[in-house]
Amino acid sequence: MDFIFTQLAGFGAAFVALVGDPLTYVYLIVSVFLGITFGALPGLTATLAVTILTGFFGNKIPLDYSLIALLGAYVGAIYGGSYPSILLNIPGTAASAATAMDGYPLAKAGRGGEALGLTTTASFIGTVIGTFTLLIFVWVLLLVSKNIASPEKALLALFGILLSGTLMSEDLVIKGWIAGLIGLAMSMVGLDPLLSEPRYTFGWSYLLSGFQVVPVLMGAFAVPQIIDGLRHVQAGKVLALKGRILPNLKSIRRYLPTIGRSGVIGTGVGALPGVGEDVAGWVSYGVGKTVSSEGDKFGRGSFEGLLCSETANNACIGGALIPLLVLGIPGSPPAAALMGAFKINNVIPGPTIDPEIILRVVAILVMASLTMFLMGLFTARVFVKILAIPQTIFLPVVMVLTTIGSFSVGGGINDLYLMLGVGAVAYFMNLMKYPIAPLVIGVILGSLFDETFRRSLFLSDGDLSVFFSRPGAAILLLLNLGLILSQLPFVKRAFLRMKGRTA
Amino acid sequence: MEKPDDVLVLRARDFWASLTLIVLSIFFLWKTSSIPLWGGNRAGVSGTDWYNSAAIVPLFIFTAILVLAFVLLIVSIRSGGAQHAVTSVGLGWDKAEALRVSTISLMLLAYVVGLVPRVDFILCSGLLITGLSFGFFGGHAWRASVACMFLVAAGVFAFVSYPAQADWNNHADDWVTLFLWIGLTVLLLVKGANDKVLRVVPLIAILAPLILVCAMAFGFRQNLPARGGLIFKQIEYHYYVTLRPLWKE
Repeated sequence: MDFIFTQLAGFGAAFVALVGDPLTYVYLIVSVFLGITFGALPGLTATLAVTILTGFFGNKIPLDYSLIALLGAYVGAIYGGSYPSILLNIPGTAASAATAMDGYPLAKAGRGGEALGLTTTASFIGTVIGTFTLLIFVWVLLLVSKNIASPEKALLALFGILLSGTLMSEDLVIKGWIAGLIGLAMSMVGLDPLLSEPRYTFGWSYLLSGFQVVPVLMGAFAVPQIIDGLRHVQAGKVLALKGRILPNLKSIRRYLPTIGRSGVIGTGVGALPGVGEDVAGWVSYGVGKTVSSEGDKFGRGSFEGLLCSETANNACIGGALIPLLVLGIPGSPPAAALMGAFKINNVIPGPTIDPEIILRVVAILVMASLTMFLMGLFTARVFVKILAIPQTIFLPVVMVLTTIGSFSVGGGINDLYLMLGVGAVAYFMNLMKYPIAPLVIGVILGSLFDETFRRSLFLSDGDLSVFFSRPGAAILLLLNLGLILSQLPFVKRAFLRMKGRTA
Repeated sequence: MEKPDDVLVLRARDFWASLTLIVLSIFFLWKTSSIPLWGGNRAGVSGTDWYNSAAIVPLFIFTAILVLAFVLLIVSIRSGGAQHAVTSVGLGWDKAEALRVSTISLMLLAYVVGLVPRVDFILCSGLLITGLSFGFFGGHAWRASVACMFLVAAGVFAFVSYPAQADWNNHADDWVTLFLWIGLTVLLLVKGANDKVLRVVPLIAILAPLILVCAMAFGFRQNLPARGGLIFKQIEYHYYVTLRPLWKE
């Protein structure tokens, strides 16, 4: 119990310091506004918001302020996706896909204002649930993670890549794994971390330092989005926002159990390495449909259905930061972008991270969710107007933002060539339904995997039993093998047969 | 769930993707063979054991890609992907989509490779914003082609005139880009005279890069591409010589 009080006291101090700094409000208001705008504009995503702001704020202002800017944009963008879902029937972000199923019928029935008000409240509560889970559990995990050595780190990195590949594939699972392996392969470029042996540099000195994170992020997330979005789309009719946005206490109290359950589910899904807000939204929606008394109304304008996905996707933020901060493995694609910001500030997330940073992150998340809550309730009509901007008008500006953001991180013109090359590859991968998030996670975790895998072998004189002789490593190895085996057709068939027999 | 046709298109594309992956993984496995695996001496350090080698992880990665690519090839062939690989179903692109993607790609290539390193950032970004907005707003194929020609002309001129980095500060390409931007803006205003969205584009094309460049240079104090460009050079001069002394004193 002691550590909970220590954590709460630490959080209190960080929160007071944040509240007392006037610059906090400047960064918060700007970043949450930009985040909601990015989320609300169909064609732009939360990952893109965090990626682009990483290019701008990543290493240009003190880390404290850049964290405010990036986390503010993250929270705002995940919430902002609900606007087009409810009013246009087009999810602003993948995380809000489930929101459209109930949000749009509600708006059509003239209850758009009420839906938006409850969504805003649920997103706020969801973020706070995820944030406080982060505050409490991160400490426990940090204690556990002190016993994590090179073999466990290598297997954990591999597990993160495989899990994200498995869960984020829209088509065949092996496509997710191939994407992750391509990311790993990209991270092999440059001097190797132990012997400084040049690998795949083709005589180009720029490649000696490997692929830089920010241009890869920009290329992987921004360029395909721009190429795909620059097309004529018949503008959907934005439904008028009818009714009071400010929710009444009675309805909040009524839906509190749903919000609480979805918050816990969202946080749990977020804590899985590499799995993002979209999965959290759908899982929570599926659970809600099964357990809710109004499950049969889901998809036809149910407030419970709406709140299931919207609470979970915001709660996922806190959850996604748990593996990032404790293990150095991003819990979602935007968290991968956030890790890029940590990396360019020379902060290595993982067991050695300064606990003060975690407390500051929690305080920032609480402030950001509060800002989002107030903006959502009182300036919603401004964001509704933004929905009318065609993507052929704002995407060219995003391209310019991406270019200057990528250039200014440090590598100059070569970074732009890298961004364009990665963008072309990512576009074709998107076209063939390869998920992009495992690729980025592979690039980010590749050097960790390479270094820890080889260090394990080095310390054990090449004895492979190092990967299963320690309990933690053995569990992780089993998880990796289990994940791969579970996708093999004959194993799947065997499971189906067993299921048939028990039924 | 996708329609059967979509799955067929995907499997046909998977056929080509798996072949590409097989070729690439074999190429990189061959490249990996140049990294000492069984001993060897690099930079005075003797790597006597296989587990010390910098090749061990890449070998694992490219072998895994090769195996998965073969699995993908088998899945694709079994699902009829090979049969449709060379038909229009297999490519899954119609003429309009091919034109859209190729014009965007050419415009981005001209911007990043030709213009950004050599031409003033405000000018080349203004031209890009105008070109992409004019080319793709409303879905007129000819507009996309015309906008693409303007950008490619500017990009090729800059690239051919000043290929070496030592010449990137020359301004002939800035002037050419400026004239092309003005030309495209006039065309946009003529063709989009009745469209209130298009009428705003020139304003966005001027203000967005201008604000960005000033914020990066004077707010964040960051480096910019083509710092000695036609317009930015003037802005920087007047910022430091005319404006800054006002509040410094």
